[in-house]
Amino acid sequence: MNIPQELRYSADHEWVRVEGNRITLGITDYAQDALGDVVFVDVPESGTAVAVGDSFSEVESTKSVSDIYSPVSGTIVEVNEALGDAPEQLNQDPYGSGWLVVIELANPDELEQLIDADAYLALIEE
Amino acid sequence: MTPFGGWDMPLSYPSGTLDEHRACRENAVVFDVSHLGTLRVQGAEAFEGLQRILTNDLGRIQPGRAQYTHLLDKHDASVLDDIIVWWVDDQRFDVMPNASNTSRVAEALGSSVSAVDVTNERAILAVQGPKARQLLGTVFGDAAVVGRFRVAHVQLGNAPCVVAGTGYTGEDGVEIAVPVSHAEAVWDAIVGAGITPAGLGARDTLRLEAGLPLHGQELGPGITPLQAGLGWVVRWDKGAFQGSEALRAERDRGVARKLHGISVEGRRPPRSGQAVLVDGQPGGVVTSGNFSPMLGHGIALAFIDTDVSDQPIEPGQRVQIEARGGLLDGIVVKPPFVTGP
Repeated sequence: MNIPQELRYSADHEWVRVEGNRITLGITDYAQDALGDVVFVDVPESGTAVAVGDSFSEVESTKSVSDIYSPVSGTIVEVNEALGDAPEQLNQDPYGSGWLVVIELANPDELEQLIDADAYLALIEE
Repeated sequence: MTPFGGWDMPLSYPSGTLDEHRACRENAVVFDVSHLGTLRVQGAEAFEGLQRILTNDLGRIQPGRAQYTHLLDKHDASVLDDIIVWWVDDQRFDVMPNASNTSRVAEALGSSVSAVDVTNERAILAVQGPKARQLLGTVFGDAAVVGRFRVAHVQLGNAPCVVAGTGYTGEDGVEIAVPVSHAEAVWDAIVGAGITPAGLGARDTLRLEAGLPLHGQELGPGITPLQAGLGWVVRWDKGAFQGSEALRAERDRGVARKLHGISVEGRRPPRSGQAVLVDGQPGGVVTSGNFSPMLGHGIALAFIDTDVSDQPIEPGQRVQIEARGGLLDGIVVKPPFVTGP
């Protein structure tokens, strides 16, 4: 299971890369493996405001539908439009071309709720 | 692995459902479908006994052939199970129910004939795909030549097997009933021949593309063969069978709903339970839906009420499906969505 050390994680199996006042967000390798082959990603519109716990996207695999919940509050400023035609990127490269959105943070303190790679590994091994 | 009808089954192997699906359409796959039941009905009374219970007419086939048939509820003609019967020898029939229905079918048959559950004695391996016969032929030549809907005793190595030209994918292929003690060796030989292992996930997307019903979704309590568009499985001319009176009554008054295929725009998969709108009005429900790997968009099977419109629902009718996140635009099509050989 690939869990890059430099990223931060949510208990909902999302990863976050922090760049200044913005984060890039996607789903973890563990999440994509559990979902199975992703066939559809409902990406939100750029400019959408989100609060902690808001479902802002849906990921559908051949076997199930999963909501993606925002671990932070802020504004979605970029979305990975390529996933519309190539949702398999979530399976093939979850930490790279399978990224979902970039969110501009309203409250950077919320990042402290996220966990590091070791804690995330412990979580999925529970 | 996932629990299914009392069995633990792989949803997919490491290559994943989509790759397994494409392998079956373009090359060949093997499924372990040992979860199907096998009820063995033997003896001089077997033929007549099955004729009195099941909807199809075994008189239209002969030993060495297989037939798709239904078992109906005697009161409301609901499909209790859809079944393949392998007519193995003159006086031996292997009746193959769905996993979770085996005891129910055994009970129904028991009123007419003696049925022995031999499910735990054999594994069943389904080899399917346009290259199934060619690749299987490199290791088990005799199994690879069993024709469509034919049934034959075949010796595979030291394993006495029964092979039938049947399947559930819309592709050509065979299903092999092998004694449990030999199953692993036969599986390994099949995989060694370059045939891709495939799981329950691909089995479901394949059967959906082929427009084949799944018991518990398109068939089950409250659903008759006529509603499901499977009237051809019912042979009225053979005489009475279990549920025939109730089904005749439904035929005479006309069915209240019919199963249709719906092809939707876009990749979002329709899902079972979602409402179907006709002319903007709720008039149906999705029974199965998913993304079609071969077509690249969503597909569904759905019941649509016959009184939802003044005109009969025909292919080409525009409909909508109430999915999560909005309405999916779709068009009624006649299954199969993807045609096989």
